[in-house]
Amino acid sequence: MPQHEPSTLLSTVEIIHWLALAFMALVYTIRLFWLFSFRGTKDRQPPGNLKQSTPMKGAIYSLGNVAMPWAMESTRRGWLFYLSFVIFHLGVVAGISLAFLSSLDRSLLEIPAVSTVMMVMLGAAFAVGVGRIIRRIVTPYLRLISSPDDYFSVILLTVWFLVGVFAQAYIAGKLDNEMFLVVYLLNTSFFLVYVPFSKISHYLYYPFARFWIGRTLGHRGSFPYSRG
Amino acid sequence: MSVQVKSHKVKVMEELLAKKLTRQVVASLVGCVHCGMCHESCHYVLTNPDDPTYTPSYKADQLRKIFKANHDWTGRVFPWWVKASTPMTDDDLEALKDIAFGKCTNCRRCTFNCPMGVDTATLNRITRGLLSAVGVMPEGVRVVSKDQWEIGNQMGVLKEDYLDTLEWMSEELEDELGHDRAAIPVDKKGAKVVYAINPREVKYDPRTIKNAALIFYAAGEDWTMTTEGWDQTNFGLFSGDDQLGGICGKRVYEKVAEIGAERLVISECGHGFRSTRCEAPNWAGVDVGFIMESSVITMLRYVKEGRIKVDKTRNSRRVTFHDSCNNARSCGFYEEPRELLRLVATDFQEMYPNRAENYCCTGGGGAMSMSEYTPRRLKSAKLKADQIAATGAEVVVTSCHNCVDGLNDLIKHYGLKCEVKQLVDLVAEALVLEEPVVEEKPAPIEVVEPAARPAEKAAALAGRRILVVDDEEDVRTFLTAVLEDAGATILPAKDGDEALAVAMREKPDIITLDLSMPGKDGVEAFVEFRKSPETENIPICIVTGHPEFRKVIYDRPVPPPEGYMDKPVQEEKLVDNLRRILELKDRKG
Repeated sequence: MPQHEPSTLLSTVEIIHWLALAFMALVYTIRLFWLFSFRGTKDRQPPGNLKQSTPMKGAIYSLGNVAMPWAMESTRRGWLFYLSFVIFHLGVVAGISLAFLSSLDRSLLEIPAVSTVMMVMLGAAFAVGVGRIIRRIVTPYLRLISSPDDYFSVILLTVWFLVGVFAQAYIAGKLDNEMFLVVYLLNTSFFLVYVPFSKISHYLYYPFARFWIGRTLGHRGSFPYSRG
Repeated sequence: MSVQVKSHKVKVMEELLAKKLTRQVVASLVGCVHCGMCHESCHYVLTNPDDPTYTPSYKADQLRKIFKANHDWTGRVFPWWVKASTPMTDDDLEALKDIAFGKCTNCRRCTFNCPMGVDTATLNRITRGLLSAVGVMPEGVRVVSKDQWEIGNQMGVLKEDYLDTLEWMSEELEDELGHDRAAIPVDKKGAKVVYAINPREVKYDPRTIKNAALIFYAAGEDWTMTTEGWDQTNFGLFSGDDQLGGICGKRVYEKVAEIGAERLVISECGHGFRSTRCEAPNWAGVDVGFIMESSVITMLRYVKEGRIKVDKTRNSRRVTFHDSCNNARSCGFYEEPRELLRLVATDFQEMYPNRAENYCCTGGGGAMSMSEYTPRRLKSAKLKADQIAATGAEVVVTSCHNCVDGLNDLIKHYGLKCEVKQLVDLVAEALVLEEPVVEEKPAPIEVVEPAARPAEKAAALAGRRILVVDDEEDVRTFLTAVLEDAGATILPAKDGDEALAVAMREKPDIITLDLSMPGKDGVEAFVEFRKSPETENIPICIVTGHPEFRKVIYDRPVPPPEGYMDKPVQEEKLVDNLRRILELKDRKG
């Protein structure tokens, strides 16, 4: 049950969005070539306790660490922060899905249940984003380590979540102004172009960082690690 | 407007950074999102909650900034946007030194708590390496590194002193066992096992060598020590100097290959084990063809295989175990020491947190050699002191020499009632020797401190004239009483000037010297003793309440003291140490 027909403006913005995506993919490809242009290292040391771990075990454990809040003391003790991390990143998934589905298969987003879930996810991520901005501003050690990019990135995403809520509402027929979706897609386009140059690109490097450290420490037997 | 020009050192550092960048390092440099999850994993942060500069990511950012300014496109185009910058002056490098060496022990606890897999400790080590390469490092690190480069071991132990100590320990074993079959073999070609140690054992704690020798003997091991390449420690790990790290490793590997041994056993030393076994093959670019294991594994194997028998009731005091950061987090060495400890002690109490989550002893990362940061170190040690106190243990066991020193310092500083031991000590104490060890005597051997035997105690220092230098009358009286009981004649002095005068006049056999005294203090007096032809050969045993002065003493451009004891001294240990020093001197003639 389509609620709105896309205007010429919206169609143009959608094209910009796809171009931005292509740009991001290109820059990311270059970034990966750049990362791999540095020499790799070999673990020459003999394996540690093979009964305890192997490089592959260590790497898998390391990669899965993000989904094991009980594994690290920092996530175990800071479970609230971990929860906020989950909500924030689910919001990112919802926001990206919204951007693509709004062009590819808007009817899916028009299903009331889907629409509600999307708005809740984006709304919750927005709330977490606001909390993160405040946390970064008021916490002395975070202020010390934060760069303008750190502030801008979290503000950019938080605004993006909020606009996403309105864009989704527009798609669901609850709002009547197409500009919500236009602004959202423009926001997404900027986001896609900006991301490779900002700290938001951490997700590109994260799997490599985790894999490599997990492989080395797995080789030595210290990943997966025991605690008490 | 003046344009600031980069100092030569900064330029060299930047060039060197490019050579140190690997994929793994770059991933850690670009992967940080400044989420702050590492913050509370650091013992410095937890004990300095009002100082945000201890935050691990802030420390790693010191390198990250330089990297971004030189290698990252956003940092090069919009440096202010991502806080990319580079030091400009030598003063900036001094400030960087203070962070990299003085605010982090590279314990890797933050690394294990980073959701992004950022290896902050490795980044800090790289910063250290860049600074060391341009000569910006704490004096202690410089001195120790120099000794390791030039003399071949980090404490500058001379070959003859090392061999003398091995001989001395062999003689001790002979005295105790009644035969010479447990003597320490040196450079024995074809031996199956080469045992490498920490020079600290030669200098401060030779009994660990004796205990290890006793265990090897009891296990019937075909083993040897070596005249070269015996130092398994590696200051390259602390200074970030991979070249030194590789050289140190190679010295050991080459010697093991020369002997033709199957196995290198590394005495209990966390950083030594990590360096020799895990890091140095990478630094040196060599593949090692023999087994490398910690002596803890060796001892555990001996017990499990029935090669040695132990009686755990001989260690009945409550013990706890402190995990060395290098052994645990960096080498996956979690369960074996506990397994062994349970076999040789009756009352083992875990401290919490432990294993991969244990807190640093605060002496790691070379911190014990950087006396300028001692107040910081001891402040951060509160966490560890609380951990230990909560166990109610009388003995803290650890498999690391740095930890031994770090823990001893904090135990003294926080007035804990416990002592630090290594597993080799506990295993030796629990060791049941099945043979009649003293052939003429049917009674089973008991390894007893010689000073504990009354008759020997009285004779231990008979005829010796000892100059006791201490400004506190109570201490002088105590030392006098203890040493007179052991048969010595005491010449007291209350400060450095008086001590020098008495020494010139009386030519004592040995001097016990306090360091912190009004007027001419012990450090000045020590240097004058060493420089004066009339007193230069008198052995000196430092007896001080300031263990952090050790570096000050050992950095003097004169021969080091023959002994170094921390107050409060135990009577038996004092007598025993002085006796040994004098015996060594007698042997040297």
